[in-house]
This record gives sequence, structure tokens and C-alpha cells, in this order.
Amino acid sequence: MKLNRRFLLRGMFQGSAATMMVPFLDCFLDSKGQALAATGQKIPTRFNTFFFGLGLTTSLWVPKTTGQNYETTVQLKPLEAYKKKLNVFSGMRVMVDDNPNYQHWSGVAACATGIPPTKNAQFDSKTIDQQVADVIARGSRFKSVTATCSGDPKHSYSSLGGANTIPAETSPLALYTKLFGPGFQDPSSSDWKPDPQVMLQQSVLSAVADNRKRAMMNLGSADKARLDQYFTSVRETELQLAAELQRPEVVAKVAIPTAPEEMIANYALPNVQKITPLMARLGAIALATDQTRVFNLSIAEPGSNMYVPGDPLGYHVTTHMEAIDPVLGYQPRVSEYNIYTMELFAMLLKELDGIQEGDGTLLDHSLVFAFSDQSFAKTHAVDGIPMLVAGSASGRMKTGFHIAGASNPVSRVGLTLQKGLGMAVDSWGAGSMETRSAYTELLA
Amino acid sequence: MRNKVMLTAVAFLVCVSSGVAVWAAASSDKVVALRRLTEPEYRNSIADIFGKDIVVKGMFEPGIRMGGMVAASSTVLSVTPVGFGSFSKMADSIAIQITGEKMREKLVSCAPKSAKAPDYACAADFFSQYGLMLYRRPMTADELKAQVRLANAMTKKTGDFYTGLRYGLAGLLQSPEFLFRKEVAVSAGGKGYSLEPYSRATRLSYLMWGTTPDTELLHAAATGELNTAAGLEKQVDRLLASPRLEAGMRAFFTDFLMLDTFDAVSKDALLYPKWAGAMAPSAREEALRNLVKLALQDNGDMRDLMTTRKTFINRSLAAIYNVDFSFDQEWVPYEFAPNSGRTGILTQVAMLSMFSHPGQSSPTKRGVALNEILLCEPTPTPPNNVDFSAINETNGPMKTVRERLMAHAQDKTCSSCHNAVDPIGLSLEGFDTIGGRRERENGEVIDVSATLQGKTFSGAGGLGEFLHGNPKYPACVARKLYSYANGVNAEEADATAFKVGYEAFKASGYRLRALLKGLVVSPEFFNSSAPIEEVSASHIKTASP
Repeated sequence: MKLNRRFLLRGMFQGSAATMMVPFLDCFLDSKGQALAATGQKIPTRFNTFFFGLGLTTSLWVPKTTGQNYETTVQLKPLEAYKKKLNVFSGMRVMVDDNPNYQHWSGVAACATGIPPTKNAQFDSKTIDQQVADVIARGSRFKSVTATCSGDPKHSYSSLGGANTIPAETSPLALYTKLFGPGFQDPSSSDWKPDPQVMLQQSVLSAVADNRKRAMMNLGSADKARLDQYFTSVRETELQLAAELQRPEVVAKVAIPTAPEEMIANYALPNVQKITPLMARLGAIALATDQTRVFNLSIAEPGSNMYVPGDPLGYHVTTHMEAIDPVLGYQPRVSEYNIYTMELFAMLLKELDGIQEGDGTLLDHSLVFAFSDQSFAKTHAVDGIPMLVAGSASGRMKTGFHIAGASNPVSRVGLTLQKGLGMAVDSWGAGSMETRSAYTELLA
Repeated sequence: MRNKVMLTAVAFLVCVSSGVAVWAAASSDKVVALRRLTEPEYRNSIADIFGKDIVVKGMFEPGIRMGGMVAASSTVLSVTPVGFGSFSKMADSIAIQITGEKMREKLVSCAPKSAKAPDYACAADFFSQYGLMLYRRPMTADELKAQVRLANAMTKKTGDFYTGLRYGLAGLLQSPEFLFRKEVAVSAGGKGYSLEPYSRATRLSYLMWGTTPDTELLHAAATGELNTAAGLEKQVDRLLASPRLEAGMRAFFTDFLMLDTFDAVSKDALLYPKWAGAMAPSAREEALRNLVKLALQDNGDMRDLMTTRKTFINRSLAAIYNVDFSFDQEWVPYEFAPNSGRTGILTQVAMLSMFSHPGQSSPTKRGVALNEILLCEPTPTPPNNVDFSAINETNGPMKTVRERLMAHAQDKTCSSCHNAVDPIGLSLEGFDTIGGRRERENGEVIDVSATLQGKTFSGAGGLGEFLHGNPKYPACVARKLYSYANGVNAEEADATAFKVGYEAFKASGYRLRALLKGLVVSPEFFNSSAPIEEVSASHIKTASP
């Protein structure tokens, strides 16, 4: 019989009062630093999304040259520290086919699903983070975790399809409680042991799930699908409890922070700037401790209502109302807001890159997909929508490139991401955005 | 042992339901709607079944507004993993409170033979009592048996009877039978389908009281009383006469006026320091107090909501209204002066501030919202690739929002919608983004005149009069109430479905109770077509290349 870590753990719990005492150290890794020497278990590759509304200013963010070693632009400056770990996609096209260009929506949906949306504010399939989570989340406590920095749970771009948006956590305290509140045990704690209460909860859920057949009786097809989703959600909570009974195999050395204070989360930029790094840090620690492998963060909604105090227009209205400066050739106030959003993105990358695990950082073992709703928000344009991908997926993705999309569909980026994560996907997207063509030059 | 459990359970069910029909789903029944409980519905149900001391803490998945009403999404949305995780935690926390030492004496009606061992009869008693209230119908024998079995198994594992009850109850509280209101219809003899009695009781109760049906209503369902015209009317009159109508109508008004969106409203504290922390709940409460007073307590004409100068204020609102607040109570009735420019809910802080930007009023947002809320006239999204530069030369000749908006009239594509929306918003420009009175914008005196559907009026007062006399407004109230009652999209509802209710509303001089009664006693109210069995097209539509 092969002895592995999980087996040992189970054995210890069932057999005696012995406790797990070894903190997970780098010495357990093999020479490449990527697999646990004893078990062959790899450091999992993680996936993140970052949503920022209202795009960027084309003349200020698109690098002049393609490939590597491009000159950093004004609006990519906040990401300078991560340039070598970042891929930048410009000139990507959103095709809406026979559907309208839903303002502040078609771009979001195209980036997140590769499908032109047939309805406003709804996705026509699961979003990419959920498609990825279906494949990579196995064994982690939460299939995915979603948070937003401006206080509205609806500002989530993680969806099961249709109107079934997964609500976002709206405050650092709420996110903390979900991740590190009841049900969480520090994997590095010396007296980690499965909580018997969890097993009782499992029995309750299993009784709920046993009612499935009876509950489905006499339903029409649409309601059947809805109840089916309910039971899938029950199943996921069962898996969460099962994961809570297993000590996660953690490579990173991170300390679990104390609970943050309750704070105001709204559209005021100073509040967003205060909350974003806290959300990013909690997300990063959740990934590092294998509470989840998929973390989604949004600043606010598409058509962001974020505002600098004292600016009566705020970000969204400014994009529409501000004239293009005839000398500069762009909207100066909008450009400032654009830069704020890139600074917020940098806060997420900083937290991910700040956690060491094995031969690299958490960011190195991740892919982070940042996207927006518009390319030129003033006119609700979507072609050339900014798409940024950070991290090298544990070495499977080459980084440091600027790819000029030349009007290729945005779905090519999504397909490339999935291949970078090692998923067996041949084609992605639908309609004229259906593609079989990943950016293979980025795949190691 | 197994047989014994079943026998006890069945015996009990027969016992509680002696003389009443035992609920059992027949294969010919149809579930015509599956309605996810909203947060207020969940909270009210728990409070009414177990008492107001039970703490309900946790996240509820937000609904989405369809055809102007969140209620319409209750028949469309499911429960995501995050939503279920939260329901599951809440269920356990509620069950711990109910079976805990502090409350069990009051809430667990029987005592077990031993506190350390399963007691079938007591557990069955407990679950059939609360199952009836939570499922809004008697539990079936199978359901009761399964719940007792779960509780007994947990009692054996933990050696504690009440812990067993706790886990069994937590199971009930996170089951789809509680979290969704299942509306079951039976064949109405070649005339489509009609709701069975418990589904009728449930629909009536959540509509009028915003909560689970009480014992008397469930009894009226059990005896078949609700299926007779006289029995139905008797129950409807009882519900209408009860003070609990207020809670139900507050929930309707909140949805109707979109007051739930207040949770996401922020104002720029630098520009508007009067907008302090408690302002949003205060403004929401002001609107609700007005509606309750006018529509329920005074049994008034709903059209007067557009014109009344009477309201209720507290200290924070008084600051925005520039009223000296020298009262002892938290809330006081207040009547604005005739020259105050205030007119009904149109000029209350809630409606003015919700549909504005954080730092600036927005005639377009206000116009779009009021058109949809009060006249059931949604505005299509603007065409793509509109360049708004022309209307934003703030340094140039166009100083006021009016001038900027009027520039839309130059463009045919824009004007078709803006001509219907802007006049409403422009007439409210005498109020800033938090609802404060103002006369000037960028140094210019604000022009609040407007022309809508050939009628010219001035300011909020003129708008109030215009809406008061507009028959589309009360028709829209009837449409929205129907949408709320049945969980359907108001924009897709056929006017004949609520015609009887609307006629009664009109005949009464637009009294809300008349509308409610007319709607629910009309022969169509509980009728339904059969649900669609098969998906006709793939869920995921892919456009042709």
C-alpha cells in the first residue's frame, strides 16, 4: 500500500491522539521545487481574475512595439515592477454578431466567456473562472472566491451562466470571515485535527441531497434546471466540508492575519484604495493556504461609478462628458482615473508576488486575467479592449510580451489562458469568436 | 425498528391532519412556479414561526430587477454555491438557537423521555409542527420519516436529544421546500391549471403579509375553504384588516419604488457633508412611512402620493429639508409649506438621491427611473457609439444640465427617448443630488419648465399634478402589484391578468386595499398555464458565423 500524506493524516486522526506537528517546509520539495518530494503532489496552479471598468486610453496604454522589451507606457507604469511577469494584449476584438453591443456589458461577457451576450447583464455560459475552477479546484475548500472593492455584492463577474451570478464578498471582514472564520484551521498549526462537528454537518447535507428526487417531481424544465443548480450547490458545500476534514498541503509560509475592522466600502476612491490591498492580501493568503485555487476581484461595476471626492462627475460620467483635449489628443481627467485602476491592479499583483512558495512566488504559480468592459468608454467602443495576463502558471506561460491582437477575437486570450493552465481545451467561445487558435508562442 | 419509525410518523401525520386532507403530490400536479424566498420573506417567516428573538445573520444572494421588480427574478434565479453556503450556515445558527437551553422550553412543545436518547414521538411532533409552517403545507409521511430518522441518527451520534433536533431542523431550513415557494397547480378540468389550496394560501400570505401563512390560513387551505369564493373572500378580508398588512405592503413598496437600491448609493461627502451615515435608511423609512400612512392608515387615494405635502421627518432628514428639528421623538409628522416646492414622494430625499450621481443630480437618471417606476415605461439603452462631447462643454456656452440635455434634441436618434425622459428629470432640477432645494446651477437660475405629451408644466409641483392626472400611473401600480404577487415580469404581463383588480382600484378612487382585494379574488388570480416540459432550443445560443 502506498503511504501518502492524506493517508497518514487520516490514520492519525482515527487511530490516536497524535497530532500533526511538521510545518510544511521547503525541504519537502523536490529539487525543482515544484513537487512535494514525498507525495509527488505539485504546487497547484491558481487562477485569478481582476475586473476594472471603463478600459484605458489607447494612446496612453498600448506599447509602441510588440514582443518582449517594449517600452513601458504611461498607463502601464503602475505595473512596471511586474513587467517581466506580465503579458499585454492590445487590439483584441469583441464581436457581437447579431446581438446589440450592450453598453458596458458586451465587452465584459466577451472577455469572460468568449461568447457575445444575447442578454444584457447576463452571461451565455459559465464565466472563465468557473470553467477553470471545474478543472483545477478539486480538493481545495472553496471552488472559487469572489470579492469586490466598492461594496456591492452584484459587482461580480463570476457566473454559473444566465442570471446566476456568484455574489461577491463586499468587505474585508466578510471575506476574512468566509476564509478564516468558523470552519478554518491554520494548516501550519501544530494541533490541527479534523473537527467532528463537520462530520455531523455532512450528515445533514447528505439528508438534504437525498431529497433530490422528491424535490424534482412535477417540475417544468426551466425549474428543473434551477433546482438542479441548487443541488449542485449543495454538493459543493459537501465538498467544502470534506476538504475541511483534510489538512491542506501548504508550501508557502504565510501567517494568518487577524480579522480586519469593518470599514466603509463604496465608490469613493480613497475607500477603494484602502480596501483593495486588504482584499488582495486575503485572497492571496487563501490561495497560498489552498482554501481556494480561484480568486476573483473586481474594483466596481462596468461603467464604474468610482469617484475622487470633490469631482461631481465621477469616473463613468467623466468618460462620456469630458472632451478630448485637442492638444493632448485624449481625455486628461479620464486618463487619471485609468491610472488609478492600474494602480489597484498592481496592488493585487504585489500581494500575489509577495508570497514565496517553492521555487517562486504565488504569482509565478498563477495566472491573473485582468479585463474590462470598454476600450474607449466615451463612445462605448469595445474593439481593442485592454486585456492583461500576469503570472506564468508554474512555468507553462511565457511572460513579458506585448501581443498586438490585430483584430483577433478576445476569445484567443481566454483559450490561451486555459491551455496555459494545462486544461484540455481545443476550442473556446462561440459565434464568430469561436476559436481554436491559442497564442502558442506564449505557451512553454 | 424501521417499521416502528414509519408507523409512528404516519400515525402522527394522520393524527394532526384528522379531518383535513393529507397533502401528497399527485403525478398530475404541476409545479407552475418555483420562487426563491427573498431576504425579507425569509426573515419575516423565521420571525413569525419561531419568534422575533431569533437572530438571523448572514448574506442573502441579491435578486435582480426584471421589468422593474426584484420579485420577478424570484421565479428565475437559483441558489449558487455561495448562496447555499450562507443558507446552510444560517440554518444551523437558527436551529442552534431554537433547540438551545434558553429557548427550547418555549419552542419545543414536547419533552423527550430521555434527553440523551432518541424519542420518536417527540421528534415527529416537533418536525410536523414546524414542517407545516416552514413548508407551508403538511409534510408528507416520507418527508417526516426522513427528518425524524436524521434527528435520531444525530441524537445517537451525539448522545443528546436536542442536538439531534438541531441538526434535523437545520436540514428543514436549508431544504428546497423551504427556500423555494413551490406553487403547485392541479388540472382545472380542461381550463388549464389552478393552484392547489396550500399554494393559494402561500401566495396570499406572502403578497399581503410578506410572510409564511398563519395557522388560520393553512386551516382554510386544509378544509378547502380557500377554494370557495366565500371562503376566499373571508380570508382575504381578514388579511386586509390585520395590522400585519403593513409589513407586507412595506415589502411591496420597497420593491416598487426600488428602495432596495439604496444599499449601493454613495454620495460625495466632500461636496455634500449633510449626507451622513444614517441618511439612506432614514430616507427609505421616510418614503415607507408616507406610503403606509396614505395607503393603509388613511385608506387614501394612491394618486395623492404625487402631490401631498405631508411627510415624516427625523433629525438627519430635517438637515436636508432645512427644517428646525426640535422634537422629542425620533420621527415626527411634518407638512411642507405650500411654496416649498415639495410634492409627494417625487421630492423626498429617497427618490431624488437614489437616481443621481454621487456628486451631481442627473435629470436623465431621474427621468428614466420615474418613467419606469410610475408609468411602467422602460427606456431602451442609448444607441452605441454616441459621442457625448457636444453636451459637455462646461466651460463653453452650455452652463446648465438643461442646455446640455437639450443638445440631444438636435439628434434624432437621441431625441426619441430623451424627449420622453428629460422633461421629468428637468422639472426636478430644483433639487440637488441629495434632495436639497436649490435655485441656481453654475450661477444660472435653473429653468424647471417642461413639456411632456403636449402638456407644459413647471417644476416638481407641475410634475406632481401631471402624474396625479395621468391614468398610466395607477394602471402601472396595478401592473406592478400583479408582478409582485405572481413573480412575473411586469413588462411581459398581459393587462387582462390584472384587469379586475385595476377596475376595482379605479372604482374605489384608487385605494390600495381595493386593488389588492380585486386582484386576488378575481377568477384568474390562481389560474396558470402548464409549465414547459422540454427545452425547445439550446440554452446557450450561438450566433451564426
